[in-house]
Amino acid sequence: MSKTKVITLICERSVDLSQHLEQNTLKDDPNVEVVQYPCSGMIQPLMVEAAMKAGASGVIVCGCQIGDCYYREGNKMIRERLLGERPPGLKKTVDRRRVIGLWLSRPQTGRFISEAKEFVAFVGKLNADEGPPKVEPAKPAPAAKPVGEAAKPAAEKPQEEAAKPASAVKDEAKAAAETLEAPAREEQKPSSDAKKTTGSSATAAEESANKTDELAKSAEKEKPKEPPAADSKSKKKA
Amino acid sequence: MYTEPLNKATLILEHWTNRIATSKYNPFYYHGALPQFYLWVLFLSGLLLFAYYIPTIDNAYASEKLINAWTSVDYITNKIPFGAVIRGIHRYAGDAMVITILLHMLRVWFTDRYRQYRIVQWLSGVVLLLMVLFIGQTGYYLVWDERSLILTRMTVSSFDSLPFIGEPLKWWFLNGREVTNYTLANFLFIHIGLSFSLLFVLWIHYVRMQRPVVTPPPVINYLLMAAILAVCALVPIESGKMAMLTQQPTNFEIDWFFVWPYWLMSIMPMPMYWITLIVGVVVLCVLPYFVRTKEVEPAEVVLNKCTGCSLCARDCPYAAIEMVPAPAGSRFKLLATVMPYRCSGCGVCVGACAFDAIDLPNLLDSDVTANITTLAKS
Repeated sequence: MSKTKVITLICERSVDLSQHLEQNTLKDDPNVEVVQYPCSGMIQPLMVEAAMKAGASGVIVCGCQIGDCYYREGNKMIRERLLGERPPGLKKTVDRRRVIGLWLSRPQTGRFISEAKEFVAFVGKLNADEGPPKVEPAKPAPAAKPVGEAAKPAAEKPQEEAAKPASAVKDEAKAAAETLEAPAREEQKPSSDAKKTTGSSATAAEESANKTDELAKSAEKEKPKEPPAADSKSKKKA
Repeated sequence: MYTEPLNKATLILEHWTNRIATSKYNPFYYHGALPQFYLWVLFLSGLLLFAYYIPTIDNAYASEKLINAWTSVDYITNKIPFGAVIRGIHRYAGDAMVITILLHMLRVWFTDRYRQYRIVQWLSGVVLLLMVLFIGQTGYYLVWDERSLILTRMTVSSFDSLPFIGEPLKWWFLNGREVTNYTLANFLFIHIGLSFSLLFVLWIHYVRMQRPVVTPPPVINYLLMAAILAVCALVPIESGKMAMLTQQPTNFEIDWFFVWPYWLMSIMPMPMYWITLIVGVVVLCVLPYFVRTKEVEPAEVVLNKCTGCSLCARDCPYAAIEMVPAPAGSRFKLLATVMPYRCSGCGVCVGACAFDAIDLPNLLDSDVTANITTLAKS
């Protein structure tokens, strides 16, 4: 089983980790590597993708409390980029369950360490249940046979349908990310709530994967009908 | 840095406030917006008072029909429905504004947000503070009770002690050579005119920030209003006795928010008072220049990669990036340019750029990404 590696992208003015780091590794949990920025607003979604592609099991993005960024808006910017509310966004291929945002002020070191440990355990469990994070787009297996021009409309259809459940996963993951963030802000909410939501989004992801397979099968069945329809359509357009 | 313990104390205080109010409703995170709210309250309540205020000093005869500033204020307070409430709101919103401005100033100082690229905000803030304090003083003159008379006379004698400009200042202040109806009309003009001029200086105060936070969430506004109304109910306002030019009253109640300069005047010789004030203002203005930290290295645009998408210009919290027409021969229409004196070195522009076209010179995003990849693979 591959090691669970979690990369933390943290701003210098957020949680004070100076006593807790050995080189880039968190002393309290060697699975966590830490990269520091002058402001969390400097984090590019590309960097989160790069971490996942290079083998990280999860990414923690940590900035100051929302409303208290030293540079006014940096943490709001990266938060909106991760949530898809501000360009540039995170690629759809990144598993949203493996990215969390923590918005903590400098004295909240204990909070950061406990959240990080919990997250390492969570992605470790994901790795055990589903394997390491997939970094290539999911191809619908049966319909992928290239059969010339005629197969193209059929091939496009399952990908379109796949896009819809993928965005449903993204919405669920959005809710999960928000809920994961919410305990960082409202300390009253127990973190077990966060686990439950991510559990449900995991189920949604499995359902959407099943949907993709079903659609691929139905597309294959419809394949022979497509060529005449495509011809008539193109004739009408002409 | 010397403010580090103060910064730490502020963060801990706000941490505990977050636990009660959550970060979305933490009033400390709206420290600039709180005085702005009270300014709107002052404008509205002031407008209502202005409707009934008469700026004259005539009191040559005693009569129920005597109409002057004092009787008009008395009329507002005792005859107009809710007049006393509006007067109370106006007075206590002014005091609350001074309190919130001081808290704002302290927080900005403790958390080190007043230097370098923030210098315009700090200096315009000093100007705003001085204007607000003077506007408040003119408010006290307008009531034209015994306190107003003493304050007016003390101000005149403070101008007397200034060389060269003292006499002209005195004549401008009195709107003549002595206290007359012209004087009170002048006070009213200064009070209202300077208050609207605050908006102009506020524009300068806000101009170097994109999307400045000027409105607290409604809940906080309700609490701010409730605080004032509570004080109105607990400490109703009464005017002193009507001012009589023939008399020489000597005692007055100090309102520590606005009237403290007169307390200073009463405990030291006038030239000393002016020196104290001027030195105080100068210290405030040069404080940012005395703190030595490393210079900001402004972001730099990589000219051949910029597509003119404007995301960096839109995201920059200090409006430091301007989109200009791209040079001739470029594929694109716009080009980003950084104004180095506004740049804070935060890197939000780097985070916004999908084309690797802007960099902090001392921290290239390609280096950071390479570091991340190395750590993830290890």
